[in-house]
Amino acid sequence: MEGNPKIICFTCSWAFPEWEIEAPPNTGVIQVKCIGRLDPIVILESFAKRVDGIIVIGCSPPDCHFIEGNLYAERTINLLKKVITLAGLEPERLHLELVSPIENKSFLNLVERFVERIKSLGPLFKGKEVDEEILFNIQAAKQAVTWSRLRILSGRERKLTEKANAYGEKISQEEIDRLIEEVMGEEYIRSKIYLLTKEKPMSVEEISKRIGVDSPLVLQHIVALRRRGLLAMDRIEGYTPLYRALEVD
Amino acid sequence: MKEVFSLLMERLEETVRKFPPCRAACPAHVNVQAYVCLIQMGKFKEAVEVIRRDLPFPAICGRVCFSPCEDACSRINIDQAVAIRSLKRLVADIEREQGRVRAEPIPKRYSEKIAIIGAGPAGLAAAYELAKLGYPVTVFERMPEPGGMMRYCIPDYRLERFVVRNEIEYIKDLGVEIKTGVEFGKDVTIDSLRRDGYKAIFIAVGAQASAKMNIPGEDLEGVIHAVDFLRALSLGKQIDVGERVAVIGGGNTAIDAARTAKRLGAKEVMILYRRSRQEMPAHPWEVEIAEKDGVKFYFLVSPKRIIGENGRVKAVECIRMRLSEPDESGRRRPIPIPFTEHQYEVDLVIPAIGQVVETWTLPPEIVSKDGLIEVNPLTMETNIPGVFAGGDVVSGPASIIEAVGAGKRAALSIHCYLRGEPLKRENLEEVTWVKNWSSLSKKERRYESPVEKPRLSFEEVRAYLERVQRAARFEALRCLGCGPCAECLMGIDLCVKDKAVVDENRCIGCGLCVEICPYNAITKNENGVAQVSEELCKGCGTCAARCPKEAITMENISNERILAAVMNAIAEVT
Repeated sequence: MEGNPKIICFTCSWAFPEWEIEAPPNTGVIQVKCIGRLDPIVILESFAKRVDGIIVIGCSPPDCHFIEGNLYAERTINLLKKVITLAGLEPERLHLELVSPIENKSFLNLVERFVERIKSLGPLFKGKEVDEEILFNIQAAKQAVTWSRLRILSGRERKLTEKANAYGEKISQEEIDRLIEEVMGEEYIRSKIYLLTKEKPMSVEEISKRIGVDSPLVLQHIVALRRRGLLAMDRIEGYTPLYRALEVD
Repeated sequence: MKEVFSLLMERLEETVRKFPPCRAACPAHVNVQAYVCLIQMGKFKEAVEVIRRDLPFPAICGRVCFSPCEDACSRINIDQAVAIRSLKRLVADIEREQGRVRAEPIPKRYSEKIAIIGAGPAGLAAAYELAKLGYPVTVFERMPEPGGMMRYCIPDYRLERFVVRNEIEYIKDLGVEIKTGVEFGKDVTIDSLRRDGYKAIFIAVGAQASAKMNIPGEDLEGVIHAVDFLRALSLGKQIDVGERVAVIGGGNTAIDAARTAKRLGAKEVMILYRRSRQEMPAHPWEVEIAEKDGVKFYFLVSPKRIIGENGRVKAVECIRMRLSEPDESGRRRPIPIPFTEHQYEVDLVIPAIGQVVETWTLPPEIVSKDGLIEVNPLTMETNIPGVFAGGDVVSGPASIIEAVGAGKRAALSIHCYLRGEPLKRENLEEVTWVKNWSSLSKKERRYESPVEKPRLSFEEVRAYLERVQRAARFEALRCLGCGPCAECLMGIDLCVKDKAVVDENRCIGCGLCVEICPYNAITKNENGVAQVSEELCKGCGTCAARCPKEAITMENISNERILAAVMNAIAEVT
């Protein structure tokens, strides 16, 4: 793969006509019905499949075939950019391009430009040990966007900022960004704890060392996870309790 | 945008939304939304395939259909209808640019032979449908070439002969046998066909004879009825139109005859119509084009007699008319104004006051007193068992697309008859959305497709086509997609008919999907659980990608399927 990064391009069926879609080498093009269909899980899972960059191409508002799918996709991609930043990836590795289907843009140019940018970033997966760390981080990020807390918040984002909540209160974009960032940080650490204890029961101290978070904070998150029924105490070794993740469907 | 959409939906609310309005309005129920959608994606070839599922004549209807679909188009509520007909013509023409399209013969699944009388749009459409079902079909046509009115009575400048020929060749490719030069009632009869082993007979001979005016002088030399005039020209006969021509009547045939006469070199062509412009049965855009061609219109005049000199037409004497107050049916009858007789000096008179069925060629027991064939409106069977009829011969003079619709319905009915299955009313009724589409008001058309293509070099043609394709795609993108999922069924990898499905045990009733759905297809039921309306859901999957509990999944395109596509793509690039 030297020099040629592996790229995945998600595009909707309408942004470009069939005759325009031509992929540069090492790029896989996947046509989906609407980019609003793209679950954050799918995108993070794609990263876990060792691709170097993902570009998502959709229609610019108001041209979405499904009316608002592109607007939701935009929010999702913004969220994902923050999540992958937490996971240690450059946010540029994920890119959303909204084009109007009636513009005479070149699909190939668009993707090539993205490939160039990824080339300058270098490969995402460099060596064996680093890779495993990155993979673990991506898996944690995936877990974070699978849980409902972040999903509800980001799903409501448009309504809360553009209309109002049930009490008629409108929330500013800055406020919601702050809120999402806060929740995301928490959920990301919790995901890591959850994934680690899934492998084997661990103590607070061990987890704290492994993920580099202060032990009181780890304990706080463990309490939260226990409350959600995702974590339980496995056994006590000496005076140290060991925690174990619970399988939930 | 979402608000605009819900507003449109409200207007459509009262009616069954099984089909989008364009498809419902089409008598042949061509899946308009699907092919317009494919044009949006730039898939022109697939678009023609979709049209051919319901209609064997994409290029013909793309040229001369009166497009009730455009009248029904929801986009009218915003600006103008989508130019559906022009799009159809374009995809058919682009397909033909690559040479005549050939079809594979369809294997015969059944042994019952079917005879179809008349190779017009109704007969050919029925033959097409029955051949697709796997029946051996023979079409009998008395003219030297098949095509009926499409071949003989629509002038060449509106519908080129090779277009008709190509589309009929396509039907022949499927295995339909067409025997020309065989006259019904003379060369073959119902009894002789039965003896030859035909199990079902479909009569679609159309309304070929012209209606008589019944005024003095109608049999003079220089009086030729419009359909005879157009047919004679199509057969290659020379007709001297002279300098001044009077066409009598206000229908589309009158316009065709007038424009043809103009093209044949007549200096002055006038159309005499006894009502006013608003009452003209001809389509307004046709009238406009005729005016551009230099055809003159005289309204509220009716011919009283045709004056001859030495057995030849010299003048036509007319009387002025006025319109009565609307009667119970709302029609304004023309009433002659006394002492307003006047004469127009002409060399040729072309009456175009309608066509009638040649009832004398038909078995008398099936002819009604209106001069049409009487059929069971549901099964289209005449009172002779196993003999069906449809098209103009049943409805009176109508249009190509209506004839195709009749042919399709007859084919279905014949299939049920031969298989011994009862024809269910629902099969036919559920597809009718606009009950009476002829009542739809005529709306402004987007544009008239260019009649003549400039002569271009090969390179220029490529550039021209590219430009046209782009234009077509932009036009198609105006479609609002107001129906349910278009069901183009083209098997595009990750764009197939889809539907959101709620796992009731997982749903926590958060209502996120209700907010998100662009079509308001999701509501909460009495238990607070989300439920998806099948009619409204288009399967975009925006809700499924955001459901916090993964309670909503898509029926066909799951996350796993998208991931499998990603895996495939990765495997390919390395």
